[in-house]
Amino acid sequence: MDIASLKKEWTGFEFDTADFVVEEQEMLDFALACGEVEPRYTDATHADFQAPTTFTSKFSGRRILPKDFPRIAKRGGFDAGKCVEFHAPVRAGDTITGASRIHDIYEKTGRSGPMIFIVHRMEFRNQRRELVSIVDWRMVQQP
Amino acid sequence: MPAPEKKRFEDVSFGEDLESGSPDVSLETVKRFTRASGMKFGRFTDHEFARKEGLPGAIVPGIMSQGLLVGMIHRWAPGSTVVKIDTVFRAPVLVDSTPQCRGVVTDLDADARQVEVDLTIVNEANETRVLGTATVRLQADNPQ
Repeated sequence: MDIASLKKEWTGFEFDTADFVVEEQEMLDFALACGEVEPRYTDATHADFQAPTTFTSKFSGRRILPKDFPRIAKRGGFDAGKCVEFHAPVRAGDTITGASRIHDIYEKTGRSGPMIFIVHRMEFRNQRRELVSIVDWRMVQQP
Repeated sequence: MPAPEKKRFEDVSFGEDLESGSPDVSLETVKRFTRASGMKFGRFTDHEFARKEGLPGAIVPGIMSQGLLVGMIHRWAPGSTVVKIDTVFRAPVLVDSTPQCRGVVTDLDADARQVEVDLTIVNEANETRVLGTATVRLQADNPQ
């Protein structure tokens, strides 16, 4: 598989957007299940109450990959990791829009052979179009 | 209960260990997380289902592991902001196990008042399951 061509053809363009309404109870449960102790995440009455730092990592778009993206794996891939960049607080009642693109495609060789890493990036903006977070999801597929 | 004292940049030293701890990854807590996250996969909430998928038991969602590491950072540095966290899900963390979250300060940026922290979650056999790095912004010396 020609990774350079794949990358050139499929990275850098937006292929999906999805909206999410942020619920107070979900913010609290996410924070408390993760052992958060900061009142700004665990106390809905706190003046600066906000979603936990990595909260937007729970959102996924309607599509994981662009339409007609070539099939790489013989079987399903696996989740190799996530990177979350925090930019601004997410508040209860916000409507967050996630825009998806393929940020990068690269190859590594592991013990079980070659692995193709597809970095799926979602940029999240609130109803005021302010950037709140960027989440990169590294998916691994084995040809 | 009074709020814990905020950690200042000046309080942090290179090589400092974050206080490690064993997070709650009980089935009940993982179910709470999956409900909050809209996850409906049995591999996270049902040991028997997970075994049928070839796993040793139900597994903690990767994004919950990431959240557990952020929680550890906030316990170490109250008032701090995790501006970036990058985690690699190397192997599953099992539900109802007793993993350990660990962290160590590996870089200090005085201009940005930020520190880099290397992070790991290990299992009972001290095998690394999750690893990563975080950039953490700390309070100013005289916060307003």
